Amino acid sequence: MDTLQVILSGVLLGGVYALFAAGLNMIFGVMRVINLAHGELMMLGAYITFFASDQAGLNPLVSLPLSAAALLILGLLLQFALVERVVNQPLLSSLLLTFGLSTLMMGVALNLWTANYRSTAWAPLTGNWDVFGLAVSRSRFVAFVIALLVTGGTYLFLRRSTFGKAIRATSQNAEVAQICGIDVRRVRLVTFAMGSAMAAIAGSLIAMIFTISPEMGRMFIGKAFAIIVLGGLGSFVGALFGALSLGVGETLAAYWTNTQLAEGVAYVILLIVLLVRPSGFFGRAE
Amino acid sequence: MSSQVSQIRNEVDSEQASPTRPMPKWEPYLGWIYLVILVIAVAAMIWFPSNASAYSVTLALIVLMTISLATSWNFLSGFGGYTSFGHAGFFGIGSYVGALLLYYERTGWITAVILSGVATGVLALIIGYPTLRLRGPYFAVAMLGFTELFRVIVTSWDSLTLGGRGVFLPIVRFQQVEDGATWWDRFQVQVHNNQNYYAMLVLAVVAMILAYVIGTSRLGLELLAIRDDEVAAQSMGIRVVRVKITAFALSAVFPGIAGAINARQVGFIEPLTIFAVIWSIRAISTAILGGQGTILGPILGAIVLTLVSERVWESDPNLYQVIFGGLIVIVVLFMPGGFISLLQNWGVLPRSRRL
Repeated sequence: MDTLQVILSGVLLGGVYALFAAGLNMIFGVMRVINLAHGELMMLGAYITFFASDQAGLNPLVSLPLSAAALLILGLLLQFALVERVVNQPLLSSLLLTFGLSTLMMGVALNLWTANYRSTAWAPLTGNWDVFGLAVSRSRFVAFVIALLVTGGTYLFLRRSTFGKAIRATSQNAEVAQICGIDVRRVRLVTFAMGSAMAAIAGSLIAMIFTISPEMGRMFIGKAFAIIVLGGLGSFVGALFGALSLGVGETLAAYWTNTQLAEGVAYVILLIVLLVRPSGFFGRAE
Repeated sequence: MSSQVSQIRNEVDSEQASPTRPMPKWEPYLGWIYLVILVIAVAAMIWFPSNASAYSVTLALIVLMTISLATSWNFLSGFGGYTSFGHAGFFGIGSYVGALLLYYERTGWITAVILSGVATGVLALIIGYPTLRLRGPYFAVAMLGFTELFRVIVTSWDSLTLGGRGVFLPIVRFQQVEDGATWWDRFQVQVHNNQNYYAMLVLAVVAMILAYVIGTSRLGLELLAIRDDEVAAQSMGIRVVRVKITAFALSAVFPGIAGAINARQVGFIEPLTIFAVIWSIRAISTAILGGQGTILGPILGAIVLTLVSERVWESDPNLYQVIFGGLIVIVVLFMPGGFISLLQNWGVLPRSRRL
């Protein structure tokens, strides 16, 4: 029963990971840019939720759309002014650019908000529900549901809408997509903004579950990489699979050993997958 | 249409500019020129502590450390185009290997420092084998992961590394100059009292010489070929995996040794600050500011940036992150070749591999 309990909370955590990793993966798929600043976008989303709750007394579910909207706009600006310039350039440029952005944003956050850990607690979401003898953390469950809704919604958008089709086409082959009349610049703009908003929502949900700090982004970006490498770079379903596996793997490791070592699970997975099957379990070989 | 034509013409012109402009006469002698400058600079640096405050010596030590970090980062990432975010990890591992050897009193300090470099070099061989076989983004991603993994391992392996409490290193006991001592006695005391500085000087000199050797050798040429087009390089018969792993292992030795010397210098290390990504940022930002893939660039960048930034670093380490992050963004967007390529484009410097 204990193990089942642990697996359950791992799955709940995995939902939020999936949301975060899916955005990163989408951006990579469309423009072949690994957004190293993705973790910091998430961190900004988390802080918006924290301050909305701390200063204005807004509950996290209300501030969620706010943080999504704010990061959507920031994402548009970043893509328009900076990231667009390094698309189609050697990988080195985009890696260094987003690394610089990540460092910059983290530095600004450390200056403004200090390195202190902070947490948001909203009374109705503290405590557990009891389901068939399993304790289901309320905040984690709500976060899981929201994360799945957003991830699922994005998936449907990509599958069903015309613009989603354009995104998928660009992801498969940007040049051919352009020849077919798709405005790939706009696709990239929308994709980056959507990815940023997804990161922000993930951040807001994390703020409901864990304590947050300006340095949280670095931790989550490592996990997100493990997830998308596990699932396959550019694969949406793969990211979901990878996220749930990592969530369960981490909580099990924390249960069997300690939380300190559990942090390493993501990197161990990353290395093993790179060794055994570098294209991931759902990805195409490059 | 005409603007397009003129644009194409401009591109063609700029491409042809380098071969048509003849190399200056002094270009073949650059190696000797460097040697003379290096000898003079080293002589000055050896003399320097006798006439400088402790603060200036520390600052010079940081400049030398940054030269080692940036120059060695450049081996694989600059010449070969494989961006590594792993320097912080090697720096941390080197710090811990050196510090623990001294803490448990297993070896003398010089042996400990050298062993740290051996450890990180071997570690790079082990890591490089799985990750450098892969092309594209995997290597960069994996190196970010490794740095975190190292930190987690060092923090959790409490019985060996003392975990999050950190390690205190034995301090260097200062010697006094006796009355009536000869200049040689004085010099020995000076070396003893500034041994970390002198160790870092040796490290930086070795790094710079190695940079010149790589930059002008076949290995350097092979790395440049890999950077420009790995598939083409491979089909021309370059053993790309071996070349990349060689460059990676060489580049990992230096942060390891620098970490161990730095640990002795500061006297206390703990996982969070020693595995901090700031060490990678330092190496990367200085190397790309000076010019990645060049011999002089990282040295130039390290000297300029350290001297400018050290005051900022003291006043507020967080501001340092803001400035360096912003700097990386600006360099990538507006001067991707750094100082060296800027000077080359202005025609001040020739497009020589010896630069």
